[in-house]
Amino acid sequence: MRCKIFGLMALALLAGCATPPPPAPGSAASKVVVMGSLKNIEIGPMRVARENGFMTVNVSLNNTSSYNKTMYYRFAWLGNDGFPVAEPETWKSLTLYGSQSSFLPAIAPVPKATDFRLEVKTP
Amino acid sequence: MTHTIRSAKETLDMSFFRFSLIAALALLATGCANNSPVLGSKNISYGDTKAVETITNEFGSTDLQMIAESMTRSLAQSGTLQGRPVVQVYDVKNKTSEYIDTREITTSIKTQLMKSGTARFASDNTDMQSQVDQLKLQNQSGLYKQSTVSKTGNMVAAKYRLEGSISSIVKRSSDYKDVFYKFSLQLIDVESGLAEWMDEKEIRKTTER
Repeated sequence: MRCKIFGLMALALLAGCATPPPPAPGSAASKVVVMGSLKNIEIGPMRVARENGFMTVNVSLNNTSSYNKTMYYRFAWLGNDGFPVAEPETWKSLTLYGSQSSFLPAIAPVPKATDFRLEVKTP
Repeated sequence: MTHTIRSAKETLDMSFFRFSLIAALALLATGCANNSPVLGSKNISYGDTKAVETITNEFGSTDLQMIAESMTRSLAQSGTLQGRPVVQVYDVKNKTSEYIDTREITTSIKTQLMKSGTARFASDNTDMQSQVDQLKLQNQSGLYKQSTVSKTGNMVAAKYRLEGSISSIVKRSSDYKDVFYKFSLQLIDVESGLAEWMDEKEIRKTTER
């Protein structure tokens, strides 16, 4: 009995120490690259479409804090081979009011873009 | 006997001293060797050209890049530029109170549209003189082999013209300086005179004193 309890405790410990599994390929989380830290901002579902030959993305954001928060972001546009198809974008700043949910729209610069990464950072 | 021992000890000391000196020199030499690819002062460095620049709230590199990026993508994705039409770019009118090289905004827009493969560009007003001069030189000087001469009367006219303006509203108080920029760009069909596409980019920059 004691052995079983110890075994269960060890398993619980192991599960607690285990690193979270990597996001599933193709999921919204797999498209986000957090540079350093992203405090009080949650990245939600993403809408990806192709309009007039260009990939368009809309990302939902949520400020989990009751204070206004600023974040920096930019998109990297990738081709079928997973490599960039355009020059790196300029970093942009976005302010979210306290507890605000907002959307971040983006359009790919070239029709060749088939995938993207969203680089985000809070100051 | 004592003398012999002493001299042997002295010789040993001497060789140890020499060895130490050589080792120290070698260490110094390797320590001083400069294998860095940097030459010059450490106060100067190259920065990220895509960084968010907030040094002052005057028109800056981030504003230029954001405007060009936003306008280009909106226009390219709008579907107006079907079949890579020929566009003539006009200067952006600067209606702000500060000096802005608006030619750089249009150059960036032109470059990015060109890279997106959605439009071709006719010689604009600044390039036109050089274009005409070159055609005249080729056709009238008699200097060139006739088979290689670019014929006159074959320049492609623009289907659309692209023109815009940038304006600003500046407000100051004892605590704040607020600058609001509005950049507008429109694509006009030359034949009909109709504006086929139009977009705006607004930027607010506030400095708290």
